[in-house]
Amino acid sequence: MSYFFQIVVSGVVVGSIYALAALGLVLIYKSSRVANFAHGQIIAAGAFITYFLTITIGIPIFFSFLASMIITFFLAMSVERIFLRRLIGEPIISVIMVTIGLGSIIDGLIYLTPFGTENYSFPAFLPTTPLTLGGVSISWTQLVGVIITFILIGGFSWFFKKSTVGISMRAVSDDQFGAMSVGISVPKVFGLAWATAGLSAAAAGCIIGNITGLNFDTLHAFGIVVFPVLILGGLDSILGAVVAGIIMGLIQQLASGYLDGNWGLSGTGEVMPYIILLIILLFKPHGLFGIHEIERV
Amino acid sequence: MSTNPWLATGNYFTSYKQEQATFHTHLDRSVFTLFLFLLFAWPVFFPMGNKYMLVIDNILIAIVAVMGLNLVTGFAGLISIGHAAFVGIGAYTVASFCRIMGDSHIFVTHFWPVLIIMAGLMGALFGGIVGLPALRLKHLYLAIATLSFQMIFQWVINFMSFFNQGQTIFVGRVTWFTGTVGRKDHYLFWYYVILIFVVLLGFGIRNLLKTKYGRSLVAVRDNDRAADAMGIHPGLTKVYAFALAGFFAGVAGALHAYLYRGVGFESFTLHESISYLAMAIVGGLGTLNGSFWGPVAIKLLDLNVEQLAELAGRYLPSSMNLATALRPFTFGLVIVLFLMFEPRGIANWWRIVKSYTKLWPFRY
Repeated sequence: MSYFFQIVVSGVVVGSIYALAALGLVLIYKSSRVANFAHGQIIAAGAFITYFLTITIGIPIFFSFLASMIITFFLAMSVERIFLRRLIGEPIISVIMVTIGLGSIIDGLIYLTPFGTENYSFPAFLPTTPLTLGGVSISWTQLVGVIITFILIGGFSWFFKKSTVGISMRAVSDDQFGAMSVGISVPKVFGLAWATAGLSAAAAGCIIGNITGLNFDTLHAFGIVVFPVLILGGLDSILGAVVAGIIMGLIQQLASGYLDGNWGLSGTGEVMPYIILLIILLFKPHGLFGIHEIERV
Repeated sequence: MSTNPWLATGNYFTSYKQEQATFHTHLDRSVFTLFLFLLFAWPVFFPMGNKYMLVIDNILIAIVAVMGLNLVTGFAGLISIGHAAFVGIGAYTVASFCRIMGDSHIFVTHFWPVLIIMAGLMGALFGGIVGLPALRLKHLYLAIATLSFQMIFQWVINFMSFFNQGQTIFVGRVTWFTGTVGRKDHYLFWYYVILIFVVLLGFGIRNLLKTKYGRSLVAVRDNDRAADAMGIHPGLTKVYAFALAGFFAGVAGALHAYLYRGVGFESFTLHESISYLAMAIVGGLGTLNGSFWGPVAIKLLDLNVEQLAELAGRYLPSSMNLATALRPFTFGLVIVLFLMFEPRGIANWWRIVKSYTKLWPFRY
């Protein structure tokens, strides 16, 4: 039984990371209806900036964490300003391909640095002995990661519910013309959505980097893996992203915990989210909390 | 009214049949025939090393695959981020035969055209199955559905011992009327085979686009409700489009398997899918000649970047692995620049050149 609880705990940890990674995509999709395929690269960039500031320049890790969030904030904002602003109103394939192309450019830039190929890990700043409770153990980095994730997600939900900027972002996602007519600058909101997404990506990158170590391939793979989470959650709901993230994390860990090794299967954890995704798309394409805007063809 | 059969200055069609003709003037026909003749004849006069022949064969295979992708993404407007998986299905159909019957079984070596067509049909079958979500989904949702098919395909190949867990499965040498095609003639032989497939499938797609089905594809892309009102079934049209794209991809995959004499997992990854999409976009989505320009442009760019990186790498410290950095960088840059400044692709440049030469010297 403790095996089961151990899997549940690690599923919740993985799931909350997924939720944080999916959060950035939800923010962008919510306001500008753009699916960002370069999110994984921004996550990786955020993690590497933190590492660079901590190790090479020598800033305490907490401050470099904040600094990298600010840097990716402006990085993502300028990406939106330079590339995506011109594509407003273009067909969806153009927008998707531009984000894929941007991801490829960032790939190239990261491969230029040593971060592209080698493995690094953040200096340990938390106790290394895992916390054990009734046979179930959780490491401090995981625990702190989950706590920070939930604080961030709570902050973002508050931001959307209560703050003026957040409300104007919701207004734009609801009805662009209506938002314009009450004096909201739609391009500014798009820029801000990308910027906050960049910020959350940097946070996600640091937390993932702390838990799994800094490896470019695993970090940017998160940009693809979050899509099942996104669809299950319903694309434009923060609550959906959280619930779907945790469900996906649990499914993934349960699959690799119980299916791998039986019937000659292996690596089911990697593929399970996509199988679930196909099933969701066939039967409930608007996800758990999404708005019902799917057209029947 | 009698018209000049060599040069057309305007539109003198008196029947739909005339408009549907492949060539409208004698000049078009003779230029095309000459071009085709040159394509077939040049290797005889300018024999090239196997290294360059392989690059050319690769471009031709990519053309076959991109023709299919252009059909589904360009003409039908359905985004497919899983095209490399369909190519992989074709390749692994050939590989499965080699696995079950041995890689030099008579079916693999003598009846290879049949096997290539079968691989195409297998691709079409899977294309139809994956296209089923298109009955209900659109745009982003469909793109992510094809993405998940790509990931599931990769997992199946990587973890099934039948497929050698993604390691190379060998495919035997084929036999032609002159005997087994040896190492020396291998790439030249496959150049001709692939070229014949490109020409046949190119004509096929050109004619298809002039039939009722081809026109209904474009109608569904432009406005599926209007198409529905005209009596076209949008869902079925989309599923057929996926199946057709799967056929082209399957043929491309089988040719790939025979050309490399082996099938490995790394040729059918998500990155390859994105690369096919980039080729279709750079060439020009929704144009037939775009499917030819795109692969040529992207593959040649890739080759040049590789050589450039090799050259520059000599003057830089070895810790900066320029080749791995430069390739994704230029690839991404080309996609972004094309989408921002020439979203209609190289085919648009071709159109401009063509209309310029057609009217020259009387431009007004």
